[in-house]
Amino acid sequence: MTDPEFLLIDRIVAGNQQAYAELVDRYKSYAYTLALKILENRPEAEEAAQDAFIKAFHHLKNFNKDSKFSTWLYRIVFNTAVSYKRKRKVAFQNIENTIIEYNQEAEGMLERQDRRKFLNQAISHLNEADKLAITLFYLQEFSLEEIATITGMQANTVKVRIHRARQRLADELASVLKKEALTL
Amino acid sequence: MKKVSTEWNELLLDYLDGSLSGDKIQQLKQELASSAELRARLEELKVLTEQFKQVTLEHPSKNFTQRVMEKLHDYPVRSSVSVRNSIWLLAGVLVAIGLGSFLLATGIFDTPGSINLNQFGLDNKIIQQQLPTISFNGKLIVNIIIILNIALAFLVLDRAILRPWFERRTHMNIDRA
Repeated sequence: MTDPEFLLIDRIVAGNQQAYAELVDRYKSYAYTLALKILENRPEAEEAAQDAFIKAFHHLKNFNKDSKFSTWLYRIVFNTAVSYKRKRKVAFQNIENTIIEYNQEAEGMLERQDRRKFLNQAISHLNEADKLAITLFYLQEFSLEEIATITGMQANTVKVRIHRARQRLADELASVLKKEALTL
Repeated sequence: MKKVSTEWNELLLDYLDGSLSGDKIQQLKQELASSAELRARLEELKVLTEQFKQVTLEHPSKNFTQRVMEKLHDYPVRSSVSVRNSIWLLAGVLVAIGLGSFLLATGIFDTPGSINLNQFGLDNKIIQQQLPTISFNGKLIVNIIIILNIALAFLVLDRAILRPWFERRTHMNIDRA
């Protein structure tokens, strides 16, 4: 059976450009969320996501339908967001070499919201590929193979990196929780 | 408190992800019953997983799709070689053509040349027979090099300069229409 999405893509490639709006509407939130996870800046993430959609449109005829359109598109979003970040010349840090600084609020009672804030802070220290892998893993339950395609890594590597990153984040979270317990 | 090993950490994460087989679940449950460290670690990982599951989908601005559709034809046609580098390459190729043509015109390559392989003094123990003399036509070789350079010049001119320029002009016309 032919995927209805592939038929829509065929229509776009055949010259029906307006049909592309349907694809943009379908995937804009995921594309934007992924770009935002990498760039951590809303206007820039929006620009990167738009740029990715434009690039995808111009390379749509090269999409070979071996994978899902979304996987192909998110790979473009990932590459575009990473290149935006490189342009910003921000030094990438790996969580392995990162000391996470706790803010003043973490000194108090670590409520759910604070934990979330802390987690976002900790995630922001992950490198781009790990950050995206974890986001995709929890956001849409992508298979490891699909995450591997998007991030350009091997499926086994993705699994190891997601596991390792989560273990480190759990360690960080645990140390904050212990600090909390001591202050009670 | 004793630190939980990486292997157990991975089992716990697989358990929380629901990707652990029945046998392994039993093994893990037995270990959990006897190890306070493992139970504590499971709780930590549970808290983390719950936090992650709350990651929500972000939404872009309302006119996102409209903006993408408006900008569809703004996409610059990128060549693998930049225009600046292409111009340098083209200039180099033209210089090579000019130089080759000039040398041809001076008649340097008119007399056929030859290379006597015996003059290199190779060891007689290895090669015991007389080596041949290779003759070559310098004029023909330079002519071939010039033709290849002309072909390369046309290719660079087409791919890196003319084609992007015409495509950009076409896109501008579409946008105006």
